[in-house]
Amino acid sequence: MNIQDNYLKNKKNIFFSENKDIQTHREKLINIFENDGFDKKNNESLKNINQKNFIDFKYRYLISEETSVINNNQENNYSIVSVNGQCSSFKDDKIEITKILDEDYNDFSKNDTIENNDHFVNLNSLFLNSGFKIVIKKNNNIKIKISNIITDDDLTIFQKNNYICEEGSSLNLIEEYENKNNSTSNILNVIKLEKNSQLNHFLIQDNSPNHNLIITSHSSCKKDSTYTQKVYNFSEGYVRNFHYSELIGANSEADLQGIFFLKDNNTSNNKTFVKHLAEDCKSNQVYKGILNDSSKATYFSNTHVDQVAQKTEGYQLSKGILLSDNASYFSKPELKIYADDVKCSHGSTIGPIDENAIFYLRSRGMSKIAATKILISSFINEELSSIDNEQMSEIIQKKLVRYLSKVK
Amino acid sequence: MFLEIKDLSVKIENKNILKSLNLNINKGEVHAIMGPNGSGKSTLANVLAGKEDYEILNGRINFKDNDLFDLNIEERAQEGMFLAFQYPVEIPGVNITPFLYSAINSKRKRMNEEEIDNLSFAKLLKSKASDLGINIDMLKRSVNTGFSGGEKKRYEILQMSILNPDLAILDETDSGLDIDALKIVTDGVNKLKTKDNSFLIITHYQKLLDYIKPDYVHVMVNGSIVKSGGSEIAAEIEKDGFQKFQ
Ligand SMILES: Nc1ncnc2c1ncn2[C@@H]1O[C@H](COP(=O)(O)OP(=O)(O)OP(=O)(O)O)[C@@H](O)[C@H]1O
Ligand SMILES: [Mg+2]
Repeated sequence: MNIQDNYLKNKKNIFFSENKDIQTHREKLINIFENDGFDKKNNESLKNINQKNFIDFKYRYLISEETSVINNNQENNYSIVSVNGQCSSFKDDKIEITKILDEDYNDFSKNDTIENNDHFVNLNSLFLNSGFKIVIKKNNNIKIKISNIITDDDLTIFQKNNYICEEGSSLNLIEEYENKNNSTSNILNVIKLEKNSQLNHFLIQDNSPNHNLIITSHSSCKKDSTYTQKVYNFSEGYVRNFHYSELIGANSEADLQGIFFLKDNNTSNNKTFVKHLAEDCKSNQVYKGILNDSSKATYFSNTHVDQVAQKTEGYQLSKGILLSDNASYFSKPELKIYADDVKCSHGSTIGPIDENAIFYLRSRGMSKIAATKILISSFINEELSSIDNEQMSEIIQKKLVRYLSKVK
Repeated sequence: MFLEIKDLSVKIENKNILKSLNLNINKGEVHAIMGPNGSGKSTLANVLAGKEDYEILNGRINFKDNDLFDLNIEERAQEGMFLAFQYPVEIPGVNITPFLYSAINSKRKRMNEEEIDNLSFAKLLKSKASDLGINIDMLKRSVNTGFSGGEKKRYEILQMSILNPDLAILDETDSGLDIDALKIVTDGVNKLKTKDNSFLIITHYQKLLDYIKPDYVHVMVNGSIVKSGGSEIAAEIEKDGFQKFQ
């Protein structure tokens, strides 16, 4: 079924389809799909994937009867179970959770950092059927854990979430994606950090082989704010991590990091993009991958420094270990600098595990497999040892052990 | 025979490196090999330790009643072979202490010995480190990472003392060591020496052999051992170089 028919048929099930402005925007998006008005060959959003599967999909959505639970078991600690992309409303003096509104949609659709040739973001806007908005109120320091649950097979979740960290607030956000069913989640997180706020965002991705996760985020940082994002991808199904940050206020910081663990025929596409639009800002983009069997990955990183963004520090790094001759990892760093007083660098090292190191360890009596495992762990040692949350650290260690148990 | 190398010929990337090499080492003996750069000394050491890049064209090696070629790298180590590398490998992110702990226990396991517990191991490591003048802080670091040349060599000998091998091959352990460190390291080696273990020492300098007295000195030129004898050979080389052996 083509995109337009698919949309028209399911319209009643899709958010904001009565809103005139949004309708106009969606018609534009449909046109892009119908006319193929983009460069397919150089389209990062289409690398390594079967385009047809994603565009020619069967739309199916269920509003879950189960209410999503918000549990303030400890002060400043919230845990949320988001079911099929929805979350019930909640309000206290620290946070407020609501449905997303038309204006949130419009607000986002005017943003041009995410190019309009990103099919998946366009699909998200077109078929939007879920999502929520969380506001962290001024000067509060809180922790939220969100478990993302999907209740049925063959669901297509198109979810848009808004996070707003008000001035002086601090949020520690852990998101878990651990779905076992045959479904697709296409999620767009729009994150706003007001002055002097802070967000530590962890995404743990561990889906089964037939679950596809497409996750895109767009964060913007005002003066003195810091956004840190750490993605741990252990999924056996397809995952796309595309994360954009805009540093719009002076002395703000964006740190976009990811580690992925791939095996079998799995694929993961990754992209980070930081736009420096103010002075004295810092950014980090670091992705590391371990690829076994016939797995494939891409990583595009991009630092854009506007002419006003003097004293920028921007750092990009991609590293990969290929555990098999059939695995492949394509990485491409990019820098566009329009200011003169900047420090930017990028590096990339991808290759098989260091044979000399293996020989050294084995020559002390360690088995080949033990040596391989110890070297894989050491490759991400820095990232793992810097997790300052004990519970998180345990979760990640367990998943790492599971991954390593399949390494031969 | 403890170690018997017979007619060994080895090539790498179409280049013959070792040529019909013969060498016998008995229990309790110290052998030294001297030879010009590129003569194949490290190649011999690596082949003994089991490095897989080489093509064995001919010959056989017996080690403690095993055909050495039947054993893989770790099995050789577990059987009691130890190579102190000429160029120890830096392995960032792999901490020395747990690595050595797992190494010593994999050896004990093969020998059907009881595993050493964490606490006794920590004690052992500390005392050996202090014998070798190695700072305790260094034991918290990653394997060889950022170590100075001399620190790397000391650390090889620390590993050797912990693993207590039957056959230790020291590949230019003396190069990079200052005069005091040389004394400390050779003391360490001499302490370890018993009538049941053997050493194969590769060096360019007679100095080392003043500290560790070899029973035999061999001259290796162009992939073969061209002369064997006692310590007097080292003195000859020190005086006249390798010219007359070539
Ligand atoms: N991977 C390789 N590919 C090609 N040639 C090699 C390789 N490894 C060693 N060789 C060559 O084999 C020869 C012997 O090298 P080896 O390291 O055994 O010498 P050495 O006697 O230890 O020298 P030195 O005293 O300088 O340490 C050298 O000519 C070296 O270039
Ligand atoms: Mg050498």
